[in-house]
Amino acid sequence: MMGNEKVAHPEYPMQIRDILSFSLHAATANRGRTLLMLLAMAIAVSSVVVLISLGDSARHYVIDQFATLGTNLLIVLPGRSETTGGPPPLLGETPRDLTLDDAMALTRIRTVRRVSSIIAGSALVSVGHLERELLVLGSTSELYEIRHLALNQGSFLPQGEPTRAEAVCVIGQKGKKELFGNEPAIGQWLRIGDRRFRVIGVLSPGVSLGEDLGEVVIIPVAAAQALFNRSSLFRVLVESTNSERMEQTRQAILDTIRVRHEGEDDITVITQDAVLTTFDRIFKALTLSVAGIAAISLVVAGIMIMNVMLVAVSNRRAEIGLLKALGASRTQILGLFLTESTILSSIGAGIGLILALLGMRLAAFLFPEFPLHLAPWSSTIALGVALITGIIFGVLPARRAADLEPAFALARR
Amino acid sequence: MQIQDFFRYTFNGIRAQRLRSFLTALGIAVGIGAVVLLTSLGEGLHHFVLGEFTQFGTNLIAINPGKITTHGVSGALLSNVRPLTLEDSASLKQLPQILDVVSVVQGNGAIEAGTHQRRATIYGVDASAARVWKFGVAAGRFLPDDPPRSARSFVVLGSKVRKELFGNNQALGERIRIGGELFRVIGSMKSKGQMLGFDLDDAVYIPAAKAMALFNRESLMEIDLLHSAGSSSSAVAEKVKKALQARHGKEDFTITTQEKMLEILGGVLNTLTIAVGALGGISLLVGGVGILTIMSITVNERTGEIGLLRAMGVERNQILVLFLGEAVILAAIGGLAGLVIGVCGSWLFSLIVPALPAHISWVYVASAELLAAFVGLLAGVLPARRAAGLHPVEALRAE
Amino acid sequence: MINLQHIERVFQVGDEEVHALRDVSMTATGGEYIAIMGPSGSGKSSLLNILGLLDRPDSGSYELDGTRVSELDEKEQARIRRHKIGFVFQFFHLVPRLTAFVNIALPLMLSGMKQAERQERVTTALAAFGLANRAQHRPDQLSGGQRQRVAIARATIMQPTVILADEPTGNLDRNAGIEVVEILEELNRQEITLIIVTHDPELGKRARRQILMVDGRIEDDR
Repeated sequence: MMGNEKVAHPEYPMQIRDILSFSLHAATANRGRTLLMLLAMAIAVSSVVVLISLGDSARHYVIDQFATLGTNLLIVLPGRSETTGGPPPLLGETPRDLTLDDAMALTRIRTVRRVSSIIAGSALVSVGHLERELLVLGSTSELYEIRHLALNQGSFLPQGEPTRAEAVCVIGQKGKKELFGNEPAIGQWLRIGDRRFRVIGVLSPGVSLGEDLGEVVIIPVAAAQALFNRSSLFRVLVESTNSERMEQTRQAILDTIRVRHEGEDDITVITQDAVLTTFDRIFKALTLSVAGIAAISLVVAGIMIMNVMLVAVSNRRAEIGLLKALGASRTQILGLFLTESTILSSIGAGIGLILALLGMRLAAFLFPEFPLHLAPWSSTIALGVALITGIIFGVLPARRAADLEPAFALARR
Repeated sequence: MQIQDFFRYTFNGIRAQRLRSFLTALGIAVGIGAVVLLTSLGEGLHHFVLGEFTQFGTNLIAINPGKITTHGVSGALLSNVRPLTLEDSASLKQLPQILDVVSVVQGNGAIEAGTHQRRATIYGVDASAARVWKFGVAAGRFLPDDPPRSARSFVVLGSKVRKELFGNNQALGERIRIGGELFRVIGSMKSKGQMLGFDLDDAVYIPAAKAMALFNRESLMEIDLLHSAGSSSSAVAEKVKKALQARHGKEDFTITTQEKMLEILGGVLNTLTIAVGALGGISLLVGGVGILTIMSITVNERTGEIGLLRAMGVERNQILVLFLGEAVILAAIGGLAGLVIGVCGSWLFSLIVPALPAHISWVYVASAELLAAFVGLLAGVLPARRAAGLHPVEALRAE
Repeated sequence: MINLQHIERVFQVGDEEVHALRDVSMTATGGEYIAIMGPSGSGKSSLLNILGLLDRPDSGSYELDGTRVSELDEKEQARIRRHKIGFVFQFFHLVPRLTAFVNIALPLMLSGMKQAERQERVTTALAAFGLANRAQHRPDQLSGGQRQRVAIARATIMQPTVILADEPTGNLDRNAGIEVVEILEELNRQEITLIIVTHDPELGKRARRQILMVDGRIEDDR
């Protein structure tokens, strides 16, 4: 024989399949221990996934609420804050009013499709001896389209000059119920403050921009001016023709008002987009921090995997020595043990993902009104994190295994 | 068995597997550290927010027009048919136990001094505002106690407005234009800082009646009452409610006592702290599973030793206690380390974000520590019982 | 093909230095049958570890098939072990959770051979060592003799040029021991160099060449 180079075994790296099956065998050889490790990993992963999903669901819920209003909406407020980034003057008064004439001037901007003025206030609304304090919105017929309102019965405010104070109103579902009971309300008269209005429509129940539409009464803006004895508008809602022309529209609005207000920039224009972005940011930050807190448990699970793998390495010295005697290189041993810890953490993550899915199902079943979903990227994150955890916390034990002296490892029995 | 022998024996077991014990305790430590740090941050936030609110004093009652029913802000703040008036404000001042009353109108407008102009918040208030809101005057004086309807056109500047408009120049006695009308500067305020995002320094204070005229409105936005320290907020609120109801004929206003508000706020913040702590607790749970795993491995490896102990006449219960003790001590060491991590973490956080100092709540710390020991106990039960249940002969054979 | 020159190996045990091998030199040609004998602690296992590349000498050189293997790096040494050296141990060293089949296939697996190719080789080996019906048994379901046969099958699956056996019969009853030795001798007849470490004089006598070790030195070589 003596033929030096035998060509019987060309050199290949170990087959992936072999690495996986060997490591899987090793990882699952000790059932009780393996189950506990999987449990720890599963708890950590499922809590991260569930929290991310809850946050993401909440974000979608809120964003959807706003997005139904359309992305080409601009809100014009009287007053302006000097400090940029600070809150706009949501409440309070300004010396120079935002008037109905200002609003009508805005309709002449080329990129503006619709304009609706709003005066808001509260007043006692009564029918006979029944009395309720309701939110009174003075507005125009355009509000219907701009805010995507829906009517249960009747019609919305009539079109025409906003300066006409017709004595008609549209009432919310809840207010109607409290004032009229089950009687038909259309065509009936009610009293707001000291004025009489005829009911011409009933709104469908719903929530728009955080306001419960059930408890509002909408009247023509001119009527509201008379009722509250003020000429200043609370808001002007502007719908742009094109959601890509928002900045241009915003600038045009500012220019128009500046000309009308003797060169003063005394309004604030908020785009729907800006509001959405802010909410999106807030919710994302919230979701991330909550998930980050839960991710601490991933670290703990990782420490645990490391610990158990260290035990495994010291229990399997003889096996490691044998593998080395059979010609396994340091790298191969390293790979085998890293694979083992990664398999463990991945299976744990898989179980965690299933737990999370079941948890979300349960939550969706318990709270059907809140749309819950598993965040699509949460599973990717969970698996990715599990892999990283397995590798990071597997390195120390795997290195220990790889560095064992074969003669020494075999000798100790 | 002597107690010190018990400890010596268990510590020996823990020390024999140094790295393993260290990692097990580390798991618990991270969990406890997270709980301590998070609850400290929660408490810090709690203190911060309460501090922001109580800087105006605690014996405050606010009255707003309109009855708040189910949701948030009442539309009546904006406009309403039944306003709160300066006369309402004056009448409330006559009530017993009411020390001071502030009528409030708030708005936004341009303020001009010579060539400088700045847009700022305009507060229409009474002379009493400085006392009720605990404002400090930096120079000059606050608004004089004029009759509400015929107040003179004086203005007091917030520190930021003063700086922006006058820089290092003298502001007192100067005339400035607010919404086109002339006011004489009679004082400027010390910096009060932000109040939940509202910059109180970027504001000017003028008499309420002047503000109403400026904004062309008839009604107040809020009336703030300061009541005597000895009287109960709810009792005073009840009296105010009766008095206003008598004037208006119905309850078309909302009364909020500072006490009530703090109570609600405190409740919300406490819930938040507990929720955040519970999130951190997930890590503790995982750490507990870690102890369980390591203790079962330990029992497995020390089967021979257990057999020997039993052969030497150690009772089942003693074996149980030995292994339980080991688990609890592991958890407690981890807990202590976690405490150190958490406290150092909150201290670091306070250094980095001095505005929001973390506040270590020892109640939470103590309960976290107890929880750690409990987790250890719970995680130790199963392996310890298995150790105690081993048959001595079988166990010896394993050696 | 084996050429050891001036091998020294010192271990640190506690505070003491133990001189396991002192200036050991030996050569062996292909197909030899050598027994390394000596009392316990004489250094015979240390010598075997050096020969098997499981341990590095502190000084001296080791040439195997014309290559200075003592100079090779860890990875190259692993490769040499894989292809040229087969080990048989006193305690078999089978992986307890794996079947006889997989235990035998381990070296092939480590060298990256495809499963289909492996299947055939291992099946042939199982049959050759009379283990055909034991393929799916785990070590704890096998007798001592069968375990050692699995270990020998594993040692020979890569067709090594040297088999190093450390007390191969030490943990077997007499009959099983004889059976195992005969298998090893049969392999030796197929031109594989066989080096057995033993303190059993009866086993040692069967070898064509005996090396006696005392206190880390080769005392006698005939």
